[in-house]
This record gives sequence, C-alpha cells and structure tokens, in this order.
Amino acid sequence: MNLTIHPLIVLLFFPGGLFLLASGLVFQWADRKLVARFQNRVGPRFLQPLADVLKLLAKEEIIPEGAHRGLFVALPIIALAAALTAALYVPMFGVQPFFSFQGDLIVTIYLLSALTISLGLAGANSVDRFSLVGATRTLTQLFSYEAPFLLAVIGPALAAQSWQISKINAYAGETTWFIVAQPIGFLVALVGLMGKLELPPFDAPEAETEIVAGALTEYSGRGFALFRLSKDIELVIGLTLVAAFYLGGIANPLDFVLKTGGLLLVMALLQTAFARLRIDQTVGLWWRVGALMGLVQILAILAGIYIRQWWL
Amino acid sequence: MTLEKHGENRFVVPIGPQHPALKEPGHFEFVVDGEIVTGASVRLGYVHRGIEKGAEDRTWTQNLYLMERICGICSHIHATAFVQGVEKLAGVEAPPRARAIREIFAELERIHSHMLWLGVAAHEGGFDALFMYSWRDREVVMDMLEMLSGNRVHYSANLIGGVKYDLTPDMMDKIREGLNYLEERLAHYLDVVNNDETFIGRTRGIGTMTREQAQLLGAVGPTARASNFAYDVRVDAPYAAYAEFPVEMVVAQEGDLHARFVVRILETMESIRVLRRIFENMPESELVTRVPRRIPAGETISRVEAPRGELFYFIASGGGEKPERVKVRTPSLCNWGTVITLAVGHKLADMPMILAGIDPCFSCNDRLVMVKRNRQDPQVWTWADLRNYGIEYYR
Amino acid sequence: MSIGSMIEDLIKSLFKKPVTRQYPFERQPAPERFRGKLHWDPEKCTGCQLCVKDCPANAIELIVIDKVNKRFVMRYHQDRCIYCSQCVVSCRFKCLELSDEEWEQAVTNKKPLEVYYGKDEDIRFLMERAAAQPVESPCE
Ligand code: SF4
Ligand code: SF4
Repeated sequence: MNLTIHPLIVLLFFPGGLFLLASGLVFQWADRKLVARFQNRVGPRFLQPLADVLKLLAKEEIIPEGAHRGLFVALPIIALAAALTAALYVPMFGVQPFFSFQGDLIVTIYLLSALTISLGLAGANSVDRFSLVGATRTLTQLFSYEAPFLLAVIGPALAAQSWQISKINAYAGETTWFIVAQPIGFLVALVGLMGKLELPPFDAPEAETEIVAGALTEYSGRGFALFRLSKDIELVIGLTLVAAFYLGGIANPLDFVLKTGGLLLVMALLQTAFARLRIDQTVGLWWRVGALMGLVQILAILAGIYIRQWWL
Repeated sequence: MTLEKHGENRFVVPIGPQHPALKEPGHFEFVVDGEIVTGASVRLGYVHRGIEKGAEDRTWTQNLYLMERICGICSHIHATAFVQGVEKLAGVEAPPRARAIREIFAELERIHSHMLWLGVAAHEGGFDALFMYSWRDREVVMDMLEMLSGNRVHYSANLIGGVKYDLTPDMMDKIREGLNYLEERLAHYLDVVNNDETFIGRTRGIGTMTREQAQLLGAVGPTARASNFAYDVRVDAPYAAYAEFPVEMVVAQEGDLHARFVVRILETMESIRVLRRIFENMPESELVTRVPRRIPAGETISRVEAPRGELFYFIASGGGEKPERVKVRTPSLCNWGTVITLAVGHKLADMPMILAGIDPCFSCNDRLVMVKRNRQDPQVWTWADLRNYGIEYYR
Repeated sequence: MSIGSMIEDLIKSLFKKPVTRQYPFERQPAPERFRGKLHWDPEKCTGCQLCVKDCPANAIELIVIDKVNKRFVMRYHQDRCIYCSQCVVSCRFKCLELSDEEWEQAVTNKKPLEVYYGKDEDIRFLMERAAAQPVESPCE
C-alpha cells in the first residue's frame, strides 16, 4: 500500500495515536477474554478495558511522600511515548510502516526496553517496599529475557540480510514461513515476548500475592492508566513483530488480524497453563535454556547462509 | 507470638493486614536480605469478636449458632464440637442416624474446605487455572450441602441431641453421582500436583518440616500429617459415627509443601470413600433425643478433627441454661508457629505459599494466647496486667 | 513429569459454555430446604414463647394481646434473623416455616424488614395502640 497520508494524521489518528491506543485496548480485552474462556469463565465485556482506563484517568493521582515528583509524573509519559514511537516502525495493521530506515529493528527493540526501564525506575522512585522489590525483579527479568529475545528476532533478520523491519517483513512474505525454518527462534521469541510483557508465568515482577502490584504499587490514577496503556501497546507491537517475522509477514489488515489473533490465542493458553515462576527460576530458565536455544538457532542460520553461499 | 523489634537498617517486607495474598486480616513481617527471608513474625488480633465471652450470655441452644459462626468454612465442625461437649455434660448420646448425618456433613465440609484450599494455594503460586477449576468443581459439593440443609455456608444441621435434617434415598443418589464426578476430578488434580513441572518447581522441597519440628511446634491436622506425624482425632478418638464408619489416616513422609497438597487431596478422596460407605449402611433411628434445657453442672472437653486439624473445646456448665465458660482452641492457632519457623531461609516469593500451606484461618484464632517465657510468669492475669500488656503490645 | 498438565482442560473449555451463572439474568430456583423469610401461622400458636426464647438473634417477638383468647401478633425483625431455623424446630405446633421462595431480600431501607404477622384485626389493634402512645424506637 502506498498511500500518502499527512504525517500529523499518521501520528495522531491512524495508525499512530488514537487508533493504536484503541487497538491496545482491544487486544487487552481479547487477551483477558481468552484467558477467561480457557478457565471456563465468562470474562470481561468488550468495553471493560476502556472503562478501566477512563476510570483511572478520572481519578486523583497520589504522589507518595519521598518520591521525586517530576520523575514520578514523567515516567509514565516516557513509557507511553516509547511505546507509541516504537509502533511507527512496525507494519501495524498490515500497512507499511510509516518511518523506515536501515536499522530500525534495533531502535524498536530499544524503545520497548526503554518502556520496561521506565517501569523499573518508576518502582525504584516510589520508595515503597513492594515497589522496590518489584523494580528489582522487573530489571532482573529485563536482563534475562532481553538477550534471548534479541537473538530470536535477529534470526529472520540474518536470513533476510537486513536490519530494516519492512524489508524483513517483505522477505518473510516471499519465502516459506520462518516458523518452519526456525522453530526454536519462534518459540524463544514468543516466550520472550511474554517475559517482556510480564505475563504469567513470568509475572514475578508484579506477583500480586507477594508484592501487591510490584513496581506500580504506588501508582494510581493517570500514571497507572498510562503505564497500562503502554503495556497494551507493547503487546500489539510485540505480536505484530513476531507475526511479521515468523508467520510469513503481514501484508494486509486481514493478515494482521488473523496472525496476531492466532498468536494471542497461543499466548493466552501459555499464560494460564503454568504456575508462576520465581524470579530465580525465570533467570535460570532464560540463561540456561532460552539464550542457549537462541544461540543454537543463530549458529544454524549462519551455517545455512554460509553453506548456501558456498553452494552457489 | 514471637514479635521482636527489628533493627532499623533491615529491610522488612510487611504482608497484611490488608494484602492481596490474605483474604482475612493478619500481619506478617518478613525480614529479607535480597530475596531471602531471614526472619519472620506474625501478629494476630485484627478480628477479635469476643465470641467466648458472648457465649456466656446465651443459652445452650443459642450458642450452637454462635459457635457455628466462628468459622465460615468449617462451620459444621464447630457446632459439632460444641454440641458433643454439651451432650457429654448432659449424659445423653445422639441417636445413631443423627451421628451418621453429622459425619456426612463433616466429610462433605472437609471436601469443600480442602478444594477451596487447593484453589487458594494454587492461586498463591500463580497457578490460576488450577484455582479456577478446583473452585468450579467445588460448586458440586456446595450444591450438595445446599440440597441437604438449604444453605451453602452455615448449614445449621446440628441440634443439641441430634440433627435437623434427614437424608432421603433420593438425595443419597444425587450425592453419590456428584461424588463420582468429584473423585474423577480430584484424581486429575492429584496428577497435576504430582506431575506439573512448573508447579513442582514451586512446591517440592519448599517449607520442609521434619516430624520432630512438627511435634515441637505443636502442628496439627494435614500440616502435621504431611510431616509424617500420624495424628487424626477421627482415628485416635472417634466421635460422631467414626467408630462405625472409620476413615483411614493419610500421612506423607516429605513434609514439604508438595506433601501438604498430596495429603489434602488424598484426604478428600478418603472422605468420598467413607461417605459412600455410610450411604450403604445408613443406620435407622430417630433424629433427636430429648436434652433438658438446663445442663447439669460440670466441665468437659470435646475434640474433633476440623478440616485444618484438631479442634478443641472446653465447656464448663454451672447447671443453668447458659454455659459458664466456653474455651475454643482452633487448629490454625497451633500451626502459626510452623509458618514463622519454616519461612526463614526461603525466598520471599515462597512466602504466600508457605503461609497458605497450613490453610490458615484468621478469624477463628483471635483469642488471647499466653506464652510463658519464664517460670515466674503468673498463671492468672488481672485486669491491670491485661491493660498493660495491651498498651505495650500496640505501642 | 510433564509441562502444562492442564492444557487439555484449558483447550476443552474454549469450546464449552462458561459455567458462570449470570445471576440476575439467569435465575435458578432455591433448593427445597432453602431457609428464607420466616412465616407464622397465628391459628395454631399457643403462645408458649419457646421460639422467642431459642432464637439466637432475638429476631422474633410475640406480642400478647389477649392470652386467653389466643390473640397474638408476631413481630419479626428480618434484618436480625440469621435464618437458622431453630424457631421452626422449637415450635411444637408447627406454626413457623421458612420460605424457600422469598430469598432475594436486599432492600434499600430498613422499614420493610420489620414484619408483623397475625390476624388483620389484631395487627390493626396493635397499630392503633402504638399510634396512641408513641414509643421510642430503639434505633434512635
Ligand atoms: S430462623 Fe433463627 S434467627 Fe430467624 S427467627 Fe428463627 S430462630 Fe430466629
Ligand atoms: S413456639 Fe410455636 S406455639 Fe410457641 S409461641 Fe412460638 S410459634 Fe407460638
């Protein structure tokens, strides 16, 4: 698709801004609904996520004593901004990404990490014991899944010989789906995404039965709403990335809905099927299994490329 | 209980009195070093209701319902303990059918309590699928109890001298059907608990208590039996109809959280087995014997096995329409010591599960406990002593 | 040892209807033995007051208008009643009964929770007497 839309519209409405926020809410709803159905429950109604956000926005924001006020207010905004910016480089809804350059894959991934880091900082900033423990766990978890996740997205990039998301997307659409050629990479990417989003069973950083809400314990009202929105958007971006890379690219909106929907179904199943991992178990799992699997995958790809070059 | 003042520069994670892991108010302080817990203390007393004092003000019949309200999960067993004590004082015995029905209610209640616990404990470990499913299936027992008594929580099945509700053959059939379903589901959950890798990672080797520790700390019920401490009032001192329809004691060797899961699930299956046996040989008799309104003077103790362990009642009568003193010692109270002992050395993330491992009930253990630290400590406290103690405690 | 032992249940559930009962839209009748609102039959009552004495919640009062002619009115405080059915058991003349139909009892004020049972003329008599000499309500 080669539409020329005014950049402002792109940023504010489609596909950035409002539309992105709305899709984040829809994905959150779908995730909760699926989890509920897996557990034989009814689940929330369609407008529930929106209602939650509106309620939170209407509420008073309480800044705890001892926290740095500026930082406390700014961090949720930075998180949301990072998430929204990252969306610009990804083929959202099957439309071509609106900004694209060589190396935007790395930028996107770092923007998503910036989100997690602001979450950790927010926890560390708000001098609450639960937040502190939560922040420590958030950052510990960040260091454990980041490397394997990166290795897993590098796989298709290596095969496509490009660091540009749109190029990889196009390449993935032409060849056989990467999930067939690189199944390990797909698995690591999907599970890594769950770790990134702190979904169960990797929800130790916000384990409610231990540390209430983790890093966000002291957040209420607007700040909390913004953090939640940025997480929802991160979910959409992550699903899009994995679908674009491993499920044969995203060429049109139907592709987008089907592929991300399918991924979400699998992710919801994985969310309900396990007991929560302790943070030490998470770290162990990622470094002992995840990183190793990612490395093996990369080595296999490199060997493949080398052999092909040698063959031709 | 042991409540030491912690040093200033130690990192203390408070849990409670309001906390998502606790459905009832209690306060725990865990001193942590990183993620490792190095000290723990418990503080109770947020839901003191003065039930023991209130009992002195009500007639024997009225007290039946008051005692039932000590706990919302094991309501029937409290009333049974009380009623059996009163019957012993009055020198009567409930008719055989009434005793069998008491056992039926008690075992159904155990099934519902253990399934509730299974869900809660799984939730504390972040395993929400098991939580939702075990609670879904628990509805089956709740429906049975509702069919028998009309209520889901406070069955009020006991009367002094017997029971209110009879079982028709029709009801027995319905219950049997439900039990078949439950047995199948429980076997499945046992399988999950035994085999699921992630779940085992959270339970095996966590909170291990040796038999000696269990004995020393005075643990009771499934918590003790999971540590190979074979003690079950139903077996050791049968009451109700447990002499005619005995249960087998379930014990495990390991003493860790996993063993507590296994013991409770197996106990539930044992309850199902004994229920079937009672239905086969239901004794025929009337449901109530007459008991005078005034209970002869005397003192007695009454012990029963609640879902959480041994429940102990001391009842003193002055020969009037009202008791002179009722003292209740609930099983959770005996098990707190194990929590704070076992917590040390584990990860903070394991605390909710270790806590839930004893199946704690907060509102039923809010009464005064005196720990005699020295021999010289007085046995009897005056009002002034109590007042001073209170001021010191909440300082 | 296996990973995800519950996956089978989960996938099956996806194709099943949720078990949740959507209560206000989907009603189920209460079980036969349900203990709901108390009802009193003035015809059979002898005025022995046993029910009043045994009620653990002091929820019922028997007001004697004329003991000889057995004219009684029962004042039932539904907000105090714990629906234990002790009164039903205590009454030897089977005057009392707990309804299994009236179980949606939430109200927004306390007035309808004080119920008078008895013959119409007795209740009227009582009301008139109360109106003549206003008594202090214990709640204020
Ligand atoms: S049901 Fe129980 S509480 Fe209600 S009036 Fe009868 S005895 Fe009193
Ligand atoms: S127990 Fe029965 S007969 Fe006696 S006062 Fe109550 S309702 Fe009347």
